[in-house]
Amino acid sequence: MKILVTAKRVEDAESKIRVNPQGTGIVPEGLKYKINPFDEIAVEEGLRLVAKHGGEVVVVSIGGKEVQEQLRHALAMGAHKAVWVNHAGALDQLAIAALLAKVVEAEKPDLAILGKQSIDDDQNQVGQYLAEFLGWGQATFASKVESLESDAEKGKHPGVMLSADGKAVVVVREVDNGLATVECQMPAVVTTDLRLNLPRYASLPGIMKAKSKPIQELTPAGLGVDVTPKVVIQKMVPPPARKAGIKVPDVATLVDKLKNEAKVV
Amino acid sequence: MSSSLPEPVLRALREGFPPDFLTQEPGELAEYGRDWTRVYAPAPSGVVFPRSTEEVARLLALCHAHHVAVVPSGGRTGLAAGAVAAKGELVLSLRRMTRMEPVDVLGQTVRVQAGAITEAVHQHCAPLGLTWPVDFASKGSSTVGGNIATNAGGVKVIRYGLTRQWVLGLQVVTADGQVLELNGALEKNNTGLDLRQLFVGSEGTLGVITEATLKLTRLPGSLDVLLLAVPDVAGVLRVFREARQTSLTLSAYEFFTDACLARVERHRRFRQPFEARSGCYVLMEVEGAAPDVLEGFLASLFERGLVTDGTLAQSPSQASELWAYRESISESLSATGLPHKNDIALPIACLEAFCGELSRVFTERYPGWEICLFGHIGDGNLHVNVMKPEDMAKEDFFAHTKAADHTMFELVRRYRGSISAEHGIGLLKRDYLSYSRAPAELALLRALKTTLDPHHILNPGKVLD
Repeated sequence: MKILVTAKRVEDAESKIRVNPQGTGIVPEGLKYKINPFDEIAVEEGLRLVAKHGGEVVVVSIGGKEVQEQLRHALAMGAHKAVWVNHAGALDQLAIAALLAKVVEAEKPDLAILGKQSIDDDQNQVGQYLAEFLGWGQATFASKVESLESDAEKGKHPGVMLSADGKAVVVVREVDNGLATVECQMPAVVTTDLRLNLPRYASLPGIMKAKSKPIQELTPAGLGVDVTPKVVIQKMVPPPARKAGIKVPDVATLVDKLKNEAKVV
Repeated sequence: MSSSLPEPVLRALREGFPPDFLTQEPGELAEYGRDWTRVYAPAPSGVVFPRSTEEVARLLALCHAHHVAVVPSGGRTGLAAGAVAAKGELVLSLRRMTRMEPVDVLGQTVRVQAGAITEAVHQHCAPLGLTWPVDFASKGSSTVGGNIATNAGGVKVIRYGLTRQWVLGLQVVTADGQVLELNGALEKNNTGLDLRQLFVGSEGTLGVITEATLKLTRLPGSLDVLLLAVPDVAGVLRVFREARQTSLTLSAYEFFTDACLARVERHRRFRQPFEARSGCYVLMEVEGAAPDVLEGFLASLFERGLVTDGTLAQSPSQASELWAYRESISESLSATGLPHKNDIALPIACLEAFCGELSRVFTERYPGWEICLFGHIGDGNLHVNVMKPEDMAKEDFFAHTKAADHTMFELVRRYRGSISAEHGIGLLKRDYLSYSRAPAELALLRALKTTLDPHHILNPGKVLD
């Protein structure tokens, strides 16, 4: 089978992220990047599925030439080939989904696995739009039945399963009051939640091999997609700074303040 | 020395200092009477919290006059019981003295009070692209004063050396309450004996460090973090030998055995990093490496079978994850069992021969016991942790390890090593000091102690008996 996965480049939360003084975006200096953690889970799940059923994993990223770092990371984890949609400017979720739909049409995968959202703008829209554009079924928020410390997880068993006839995908998804199991005819779109798997580290031989794996370059124009954003960020505002705490001399004062000032007890 | 404070001292403490200066509350006494060692029961007579050097000076003058024993106290993260007060001493905590002055960007220095937390100093300097390169797992709790008083080591010694190299000036209060300003912010000062260095590593026995001018350096550029699986300690040393022969700048070369990893996985619930378990793991950090040089090095390690598996962090958060395996060891050993800790150093050239003999000591003295070996092997520093067998009483365990330590330290002496690489001597290693220091040296140390602290009020019983 063929599985398409995404690897969005996002800011690493270990970097200090600050809104610029103009409020038009974040300060890029000193930032470090990584694969969106939900996408990294998607890559891992794709690799586990092809390890079990055979096939290949194609990883896609959209952005300037720097996104090749994230593609190489996914290739080092074990993805077989990479597609890079070269576009430097801002994109909204509709444009991203439209670009991915074109890549899917060209690659013809059986499954597209995406992170349920990216940790930079936390939109949680692309997977759903993509399914709509393709007319495919969707199973969002794929999660796992057992704990991530279970033997099945240690044995790298996939959490996303194929049905007995191999024509449908069975997904356990996290819902508000528990877990629901859904089945979708393939091809289908699956989006991953945090508890689906623990992504592997890129092995050293994998890192070496990734150097010679192909990265195919595409452009929005070549794909025939108009990426003019319909949604534009007007302004960014940092959250208000937290007020300094105070010290109270004793428990009685604390209780008094909780009662009469904070009014929480 | 009596185990409670003499009446005139108690009166002077109450009348001559702010009302919150002294506490004798049992919970505080238990807390401030101990460090990260769990061997001695804490029993201080009181804890004082000065806010200024002036208060420290008046306090010490008072204690000097009345022969009251004082234990200087920082973050109490020590592993040799140097900050333990188990005999009715007065604990002098510097936790209220945390002021940090603005960084001198031109001189690359910063003046801080002794109670400043190590990590707070890092955060203070980082926005200017500078750092104080004293770094270890306990940096979130340890203090600058404690780091200096113990000449702390840590994970970056291979790159930056010990704390000693990063202290320009010290303000020290002597046992009788005099305030010494030693060297200030001078990079060069060739005016006779460097008294400042006398107090670095003195473990609170010669004076109380109240302020320091720290030498800073540029924050490192790109750092590559690797975790490698190697079969055994000999393999760890072979990879080290290879790394030393390249142009790579190592900023850390750490190792740990699978026993350590298993306890980290259990306590921190970390996943197993590689599919197959391995005898040993190397955590290596490389500074500013050209990608092709680093990759060429790694490829050659693989081709020759020197490493069996490994990973190179792909992002800063992955680098932190890999570091966490190494940095969680100490806490995981203590949380999942009772370790008997040793911290030994060997000349790097002797490590291989020493480790070979060490495993014979283990087989003889600890047949079948769990031994967790890790450390800064790039500095010749091994942390030897013997875990208490489940069914053995604590007293029997310590009696056994005490006897076995003599066998190990005899071996350390034979290889001209040190019985305490970076943890210091404190109470824990005091009786073994003669394995690393000759009688003439010990006599000189005693003479210095008596000159600086004639009544032996400063951290009595630590380092020297």
